[in-house]
Amino acid sequence: MSRLYDTVEPAVIDEEMLQKAVEEQGPKDEAGRIAKQEGIDFADVLALRLDFKNILKIDNLWRFTSLTKLQMDNNIIEKIEGMDALVNLVWLDLSFNNIEVIEGLDKLTKIRDLTLYNNKISSIENMDALVDLHVLSVGNNELDQLENLIYLRRFKQLKTLNLNGNPFCDDPNFKHYVIAYLPSLQFLDYRLIDENTRAAANEQYTYPIQQLEHNEEQARKRIEDQEAKETEFNLHKGAYVENLNGSALFDSMFADDTEGPKLALLPGVDELLTGYKEKYTAICQQIFEYGLKEHQRRGDEVTGFQTAVDEAKEDNRNMGMRKINDFNEYRRKLFTELAQSSDQAHIDTSLEQHNKEIDKLWDGLMALEMQLVDQLEDTIKEFERNMADMVSTFVENVQALISQCRDLENTHNEKLLEVAIVTLEKMVKNELDDELPDDVRMLFVDKDTITNAVGASHDLHLLKIDNKEDDIITRANNWLAALMERVHNEEEVKRNRHRVSEINNFIDHLREEVETFEIQAA
Amino acid sequence: MDENAENNGDQANNKAEETEENEGELSVDDLRAELEKIDIEVPEVEISEVHIQQEDAYAEFPMSYKENTNKEKLILAYAENFRRQYVHLYRDRKPLLLNPVNECGIEKFVSTTIRPTLLPFQELYGYDNCAEFVADYLEFQALDPPVDLPNQLVSPTTALKRQKGNSFDFATLLCSMLLGAGYDAYCVSGYATREICLMDQTRDICPLMKKKGELKSEEKKKEVRKYQVKPPKDLRSKFDLKMQARREAEEEAKAAERRKEEEARISELEKPKPDALHGLRIHCWVLVLSGKREVPDSFFIEPLTGNTYPTEDDKFLGIESVWNHQNYWVNMQDCSNGCKDLSFDLGDSAKWEYLLHSSEKPSLEIPDVEAELYEGLDDDEEEQEDERHLEMPPSWVHPILVTPKEYETRCPLGKKTILYKKARLEKFARYLLKDGMITKLSVYDDYELKNLVSVKEWFVNRQDKLELRVHNHRTGLITEYMQQGRLDCMKEHTYKSGSPGPETDRTMVFYDKARVDGLVKREETPTEMTEHFKDRDDFLYYRHVVFSKRMKKFGASTDANHRPILKITERFHRNKEKIASEDVSECVFHIAEDRIQLTFHCEDKRVTASTREFIKPPNANDKSQTITMTPDMTSTFQVDTTKKSPKNLYIYNMLVSLVEAEDQSVQAIRASEEEIKECLLERIREETVSELSISVYDTERNEKAKQHRKELERQQLEEKLRRQEQELDYLAPFLAQMGDPEKIARQQAFKLKEDCLADLKQRLIDKANLIQSRFEKETQELQKRQQWYQQNQVSMTKEDEEEYLAYCSEAMFRIHILELRLNRHKEMAPHKYMALEQKIRTDGRLSDYF
Repeated sequence: MSRLYDTVEPAVIDEEMLQKAVEEQGPKDEAGRIAKQEGIDFADVLALRLDFKNILKIDNLWRFTSLTKLQMDNNIIEKIEGMDALVNLVWLDLSFNNIEVIEGLDKLTKIRDLTLYNNKISSIENMDALVDLHVLSVGNNELDQLENLIYLRRFKQLKTLNLNGNPFCDDPNFKHYVIAYLPSLQFLDYRLIDENTRAAANEQYTYPIQQLEHNEEQARKRIEDQEAKETEFNLHKGAYVENLNGSALFDSMFADDTEGPKLALLPGVDELLTGYKEKYTAICQQIFEYGLKEHQRRGDEVTGFQTAVDEAKEDNRNMGMRKINDFNEYRRKLFTELAQSSDQAHIDTSLEQHNKEIDKLWDGLMALEMQLVDQLEDTIKEFERNMADMVSTFVENVQALISQCRDLENTHNEKLLEVAIVTLEKMVKNELDDELPDDVRMLFVDKDTITNAVGASHDLHLLKIDNKEDDIITRANNWLAALMERVHNEEEVKRNRHRVSEINNFIDHLREEVETFEIQAA
Repeated sequence: MDENAENNGDQANNKAEETEENEGELSVDDLRAELEKIDIEVPEVEISEVHIQQEDAYAEFPMSYKENTNKEKLILAYAENFRRQYVHLYRDRKPLLLNPVNECGIEKFVSTTIRPTLLPFQELYGYDNCAEFVADYLEFQALDPPVDLPNQLVSPTTALKRQKGNSFDFATLLCSMLLGAGYDAYCVSGYATREICLMDQTRDICPLMKKKGELKSEEKKKEVRKYQVKPPKDLRSKFDLKMQARREAEEEAKAAERRKEEEARISELEKPKPDALHGLRIHCWVLVLSGKREVPDSFFIEPLTGNTYPTEDDKFLGIESVWNHQNYWVNMQDCSNGCKDLSFDLGDSAKWEYLLHSSEKPSLEIPDVEAELYEGLDDDEEEQEDERHLEMPPSWVHPILVTPKEYETRCPLGKKTILYKKARLEKFARYLLKDGMITKLSVYDDYELKNLVSVKEWFVNRQDKLELRVHNHRTGLITEYMQQGRLDCMKEHTYKSGSPGPETDRTMVFYDKARVDGLVKREETPTEMTEHFKDRDDFLYYRHVVFSKRMKKFGASTDANHRPILKITERFHRNKEKIASEDVSECVFHIAEDRIQLTFHCEDKRVTASTREFIKPPNANDKSQTITMTPDMTSTFQVDTTKKSPKNLYIYNMLVSLVEAEDQSVQAIRASEEEIKECLLERIREETVSELSISVYDTERNEKAKQHRKELERQQLEEKLRRQEQELDYLAPFLAQMGDPEKIARQQAFKLKEDCLADLKQRLIDKANLIQSRFEKETQELQKRQQWYQQNQVSMTKEDEEEYLAYCSEAMFRIHILELRLNRHKEMAPHKYMALEQKIRTDGRLSDYF
């Protein structure tokens, strides 16, 4: 393919080119004059056309952050790149270029219309980010695998597709294949797909499509299940009791324990372990349920508090707005009156009165704000107290439950030790019935070794339990601290400052206006 | 007249007795002989004559109205016996209404006059509609004298036909209908106040004016929440508050007292004049007992007005007796306290004396389950007992019939006027009035109905969907309420009766869902117009326009002379897609001052809103020129000081779009003005035409449907005639002669044709001969008379001569007619002959051969 401008030196997207394009394509007439006067910010440009510029490399576009339409057709671009900043792009035209691979579109999630006509693309790929794609044109390319089109099934909004001029178009089944596999499609190669063709196509590909749909359905279900599990886990995590609704904690006690499994092989320990595990798991379950319940209660408490606060703020806001509206009404009347009056004395007294009214408004608004601050302060204090109580009760209860676990572990340990000693004695007397593996036998060298082994295992278990306890308590306390921090910050300090500055700003504005009026009048 | 006959018989008997007494010493045989001598002449002739006369007068009534069956006679005798016993036992009680005569002068027992009927109208299944129908349909005639029972009780059918009756007729008809609808209803004969007896409602409030029970707005219980901000401190003096509360309470008490006095005064004013006949006025109404048709409590229905009253109502002063179609009960309870303390347990024989000890008396007590259980076993006994009881004969009244047309017309002549306290209610039948009015309620200020306050008119079937018009004469406002379905989607229209034209005070309310522009309400005053919108895509919900006086235009201008607009205010709802500080909440176009004021929405957590003001460039309205802008043309207040001010380009674009928006608003206002004008013109047109719509199912009134049906009927008739003709086979007698052969041979066919034609020929000739002979006979007669006349001409009186002349002219006329007929017959005969031949030729059975 030889083009006229192949011989020309490739151009580079530089400041000059961009400036020129923006100015050329920007507003016209009076608007253009104003625009020129104050200069156009690249960040404000919504559409940009860079066609027939012999551009080889996409570059220097990062400043156009609000761009929605970009036309770069009829260049000699070889690679899609440098567009990660153009997140608002809706329309992208890269037709008549030398692109070989679709890539670099991962940040352009808002794209609806993508044109890659007349390039050298041989495979449709790397477009997963374009979830809202409506129109796709990849005609006159080098696509030769019909199966590659299945990739387009993920675009549920895809209505228009142009594939004309690709190698696979010669396939006699091409049309039916496309229609059957892309049910959302309405236009193919710029022609409306009529119902007859669609029916015929569907018939031709009934079975493969059913198969495909089935697979997709299953995949979707898998993802959904996983998501559901994840949300549930997150909920548990929020309640600080993740992995407690089962034997996970118990299992983790034995996971790092090297001695444990060995000891488990001792006669009688098996039953001991089963009983132990049962009781242990029951307690874990108890903690789990309690944790979820408490989480729910905390959530309710926070919502209750939040609604109360929001309501109070809303009431306060409404009162404030009413005050301001009344004042505005007064001011409007006053100014219309003054505009018609020519009596200087009258104007002066009126303005005096007006200034007083402004002061009164400021007083009123500030009083409202102070009142709200008081109200919120009380409520927040109450809330803080309640939350602290709640969390500490939670912690205490969890601690009590966990100490039960610890007791269980202690009992178990004692029993285990007993068994171990008995076994040792038997071993010494060589009365042992069954064979034990060698490494287990190694433990029974003497009493110290076995006691150490059991002790080590016990210590490890206790450590695990302690860790869990610490984890729960720390997280609960941290959450409380963070929550109260946020509440104090947002509801008290920030909000208050915000409002006060707003009121002052408004009052200043009013005063300024009066001054300008006075100057004018004078 | 029957009585007459009996009297005669009695007299004869008495005579016989006298004879016996006078000649006491005679022996029995002599007496017998003596008695046999006496010939009692029963004046049969007279009776039969009277009967004939009666039958003439009552010819229209069916037999059951004119005579009594044996069973009825039995019950009448029984009732008579009951009455005698009753009078004997309770000498001081008023007579009972038991056996009044009916419209044919025959005694009938009251219970048999009730004919339970369910009329085929859906509405008449409920007691309230039944009562209303009876009250509307019949015209009331007061009892005369008001303290005596009527001696005649006509059947419900006759009452319906005559469309008038007294309270007994009303109650009987209503009771029949209610029983038919399944209610446990009874006619009640008793005493009521004058107002009730004379259907005087002028002391009652019109039911249409009664305020509906104010919907108690359920106070939403505020959820008791754990967190609640404390209310701000109340810094007012508690003592002051207390004092104020006390003052208010005092004033309240005073006002209440005043109100009370006023009420007392009014009630004194409205009190009816004392009635000399209080407690004696006889009335008949309907009692509906609880139990059947899910009636929770027993109540009275006053049949004259159709109103319902609780049984404790003090308007009903006492009850003598009650009856339904099965039995008759006499009240044995003390009525000195009105009907308040009466028990309506008719099964209690201490309180209600029954006439027939029979039947499934409606005991209020729940039947004993055990008794019912064993009922089956006692069947034989019961049957025996039953036989001893007298049964109420079936009603002699024919089924009550009301045609749909009668039902629709309702009141006599389709009109009815009821006077209420300070109000007059007029009812009209549908389609009676040209403008479709069915109800008109005029409310007055005084009791004499002179000072009109307001008029409410209800309409139905109007093509313009007008439903109700309220004319308030005090304020002069007319409000019209329309149903859905108008082209302009109008719902309510309020205007001043004095100035119906455009650009005056008016309010129009619309069905906003049906309108494209979502207009809900448009209010107009001479200089202002306010429009309210709902659910618009551009979030506009309010537009207010101020007009100034129209400027005098000189010379003939072709375009409409609009009132100049001074100011337009538009308000918008929050558009969540925009940032609050860029989303316009109020936009004021000061057109006269060339200014545009914008107020933006408040951000969610702020109390102040940003504003911006433009001064319109002088050439803004000139489309050909581009708008120029300088920075001093705009001023702004920004709430958020941290935000950098927008670019000039942005502001410029805003100005351009505002200028455009102003233009559009002006256009919209002009369009609204135009629409008002059109609307009013349309209303005037509709009002003058006042067409009524007719349902396609209304076969009576729908002309098109009627024509269609008639056409169908006509076609059917024609079809029938044609078929008859076909069935009349002219060949049948000739075929019969041949013994109805299955197939006609050629020979036979020719013979058939011959015969048939010969027969026709013969008949034609016969007919001709007949006419001829008559003609000749007439002529001969005439000639004879002429001869006779000539002979006796001299001796004839003038009368004879006249008679002769009359005869002559008549005879001449007859002769002439006969001549004409003969000629015509001669003319027609060949044609008929040919026609028959043609018919035979084309006849399906013979066509093979010809």
